[in-house]
Amino acid sequence: MEKNKITMISIIGIICVILVAVMFAQFKTVEETDITGIETAREEELQMMLSSWKTKYEEVEEKLIDTQQKITDYREKLTSNEQTSELLDKELEQINILVGKTNVTGQGVIITLKNNEEKTIEASDLRTLINELKLAGAEAISINDKRILNMTEIVDVNGIILINEDRIVSPYIVKAIGDQTYLSSALSLKTSGFIDSYQKLGKTVEMTKENKISILAYNSKKNQLQLKYAKEVQE
Amino acid sequence: MILIAIIIGCIIGALIGINIPTIPYTYSGYLAIAIIAALDSVFGAITSSLKKNFDMKIFISGFFVNAILAILLTYLGKKLNIDIYLAAVVVFVGRMFNNLGTIRRYYVEKITEKKGKKPEEKSQEKVNNN
Repeated sequence: MEKNKITMISIIGIICVILVAVMFAQFKTVEETDITGIETAREEELQMMLSSWKTKYEEVEEKLIDTQQKITDYREKLTSNEQTSELLDKELEQINILVGKTNVTGQGVIITLKNNEEKTIEASDLRTLINELKLAGAEAISINDKRILNMTEIVDVNGIILINEDRIVSPYIVKAIGDQTYLSSALSLKTSGFIDSYQKLGKTVEMTKENKISILAYNSKKNQLQLKYAKEVQE
Repeated sequence: MILIAIIIGCIIGALIGINIPTIPYTYSGYLAIAIIAALDSVFGAITSSLKKNFDMKIFISGFFVNAILAILLTYLGKKLNIDIYLAAVVVFVGRMFNNLGTIRRYYVEKITEKKGKKPEEKSQEKVNNN
């Protein structure tokens, strides 16, 4: 009887322990659980979250594709712009060489004209020489390192030769870049060629062929190559 | 003696429960159902002990088997995509209220018995009306 009672009491005690332990554990779980925490979320909540994230993911992916498309478009535009600018750069370079704003080098001839005791070199001689050189296809010409442009004047003012408004004196070294053979043969034609005819007149003219001639850029301080009156015609 | 055992058991249980690591939220649903089932068994036991027909074996088997069955049913419900645990909750809580009503009635009768015969009749009527 006594033993029976003790077992009953102990069983009731054990059951109380189990029940209360589980209850408190549950209380603790419910209290501590952060509903938004992903580790503790219920399956249904997880499914909901998953589906919503999927939708978001799809939207974002669409945006991504859009943006990438835009980026490719921009890139294409950029490359085409780069091509254009490269072309423009090349053109600019060409034009700069053409107008004489850059130092240039290449094969050509050097003609030296000197005053001697009897004859002096005049501006007209230089003009004739320049014209001959241009006719023979000279691409860049300079006299005493004064670059000859299309606007360059070669004039006599009171016996002084002015080029690009700068005074130059003998000896006059004329450098011309172009086809060596053309230039030299054009100048050294028998009797009617520049060198022959001028030497006959008693002027000192010498010509040398050079494989590498350097011609300086237009560097006059007085005339800055700015057009005031000539305007481009807009069609 | 029984009261002391219950109090000591409750204190030990509370200590264990507080120190237990947190249960994952997914399983806490099952645990809640098990607790409801166990509580139902406990109240049933109290009622039957008041009615002098308390059986230890029935109590213990009811305590554990009800809890496990409730958990199994909840699990089955989840597999079938139906909220069976709601039915379990309704049944257990309904029974808990019945048992609580019986317990209340028993004590009210006891108190009124002490005070005399007349109030007892009145209270008896009242309880019946309830």
